[in-house]
Formats: sequence, C-alpha cells, structure tokens
Amino acid sequence: MRGHDRRRYLVFVVMSEIELDKYKLLNAILDSVHSLYGDIGTSESKLWLIKYDKNGRGVLRCTHRKVEAIRAALACIHSVNGVQIAITVIGISGTIKGAASIA
Amino acid sequence: MPNFFDLNVHAYPETDVPAEEMLRVAIRYGYAGIAITNHDDFVEVRKENQSVIYRGVEIRTKSVSELNRKIKHYAGKVPLVVVHGGAENINLAALKDHRIDILAHPCGEKGEGSLNHVLVRYAVENGIAIEFNMNAIIQSRRGDRARILSRMRDNLEFVRKYKAMAILTSNACSIYGLRAPRELIALAALFGMRREEAVRALSDVPLCILERRWNKAREVELL
Repeated sequence: MRGHDRRRYLVFVVMSEIELDKYKLLNAILDSVHSLYGDIGTSESKLWLIKYDKNGRGVLRCTHRKVEAIRAALACIHSVNGVQIAITVIGISGTIKGAASIA
Repeated sequence: MPNFFDLNVHAYPETDVPAEEMLRVAIRYGYAGIAITNHDDFVEVRKENQSVIYRGVEIRTKSVSELNRKIKHYAGKVPLVVVHGGAENINLAALKDHRIDILAHPCGEKGEGSLNHVLVRYAVENGIAIEFNMNAIIQSRRGDRARILSRMRDNLEFVRKYKAMAILTSNACSIYGLRAPRELIALAALFGMRREEAVRALSDVPLCILERRWNKAREVELL
C-alpha cells in the first residue's frame, strides 16, 4: 500500500458567515470535487473528512497525487445553502499527527 | 516567497465591504497588496494604506465611443485603469489603447468572448495585461465552467505564443470571494497554467504594472 497509495492530510480553515455543521461541509466538498472531476476523479482522490470542528478548522485526507486537484476543488466552493464560505488549505502533512501539529 | 498582488478586487461603495476589510483578509492570505477596481468608480484610500491598497477603476461599457470617453475621463486620474472585457469590439478597442493597464476577463464572465492573434499582438504592443478571472471558474458549474475553462486554455496559448503579460485575479466582491495565492495557482492549473507561470502572474507581472504606474505618476509630478 505504501508504494502507490501515499496519503496526505490537508489542514484547512473555513471562513463562513455562520457556523457550518460537518455534514453540510462534507456534502459541499464532495459536490465540488464531483462537479470538477466527475465520478472517476472523485473515486481516485480517496477523500475522507477526518475531522472538522466548530471553529472552522478541519483535516481532509486524500492521496498524494491529488493534493493540488483537491486544493482547487476546495477553492471552488463559494456557498453552502446560500451562506457564503471560503476554504483555504493552510498546511499539508503525511501523517495525522503532523496535521494535528499544524497551528 | 515573492510578493503577491490581487489587482481586481471590488469594495465599498460598489459592495458593502470596506477596502480595509478586504485588505485585512488578503494580508492574512499572504498578499502584499490589493487593488480596488470598482466598476466606473474609484475609491479614496487613507494615506497610511496607500502602499498596500492601490486605486483602480474597471470601466464597464457597451459601446466603443463610451469606452473612449471613459478612458479619457479616468486616464491620469486613477493609477490603474482596467477594462471590463467580454464583447469582441470592447476587447479590441481596449487593447488598442496604451492608457489601459489590464483587460479584465477577455472571455467574459460567462465565457462568451474570446481573444485572437490580432488582439494579443495589440496587448503586447501596448503593454496591457490579460487577466484570468478565477471567480468565473469558482462561480460557474457544468457547461458554463467547461466553456470558460476551454476559453482560458485558448487564451493561455495566445499569451504563451506572443509572450503577453498575464495576471491572475480573484475579482472578489466580498471577503468570501478572495482566495489565497496557492489556491489561485491550483485553480489556474485547471486550464493548464504551469506553477511558475501562475506565480509570475500573481507577483512579478502585477508588480511590473504597478511600478510602471508609479514611474508615470512621478513623471507627472516632476512636470
């Protein structure tokens, strides 16, 4: 598994007009990735929302090949249910532990 | 890290977000400065912010004669003159005029316009930067986005062929419309822009445009 399927953990910050719950955010992310890359691209990126807390910080997992593609898809999210949001990736790590240490 | 600039941001009074608020978010994202380019209106900036908020205007018009009139009105008065592109005749008239600094979204906000060899040659001759508006990619979906991306891909080919100046902008109307430089670089990769090209389009090229303006302003003062 290590050879071809290395994982990356993207630490992101959500800027939003109101608080956003985890499932709405996950839907928005999947929607955006799907809209940009279709079924095949979405399956290849192996997305997983590791965590997201109320203060707007989260960790998203994907394969190391798709980091820039996922960054673009996150940047494409502009609103959720009519609420304006913006997502910025602030750090990338190869381990969950490393991602947790990104301030 | 190079200094990044976003040269197409809209703020109060066109939107309800003041320029200082936009600057605060932009600096957090890692920008060195932004330019406020409201449609047919320019803002006054407080003295202490003048080195980071640049005053500009985005001329939006339907006819060439109106465009020429507005260029005459704004040239020399506003440091950064941008034309809201899209329609073929407006693109042509704007690129023929050396007083223009940037042609914003030449493929229109919905991918309706396009560039060609003749237009890009004029852009090079007159030192006008071609803008790639990332907001169009962010806000559109499906067919619209596909059309915009393919237009941008074509435009990028022309820009490369004639070595024209290209810039990346967010065209933000609120703090949620702004994107960090690395996000814009990732978005630019969607239509085939290489990383180093995108970095240049966010740092060196905007800086070159701004410096040209500073020099011009200084010349005017000396006279």
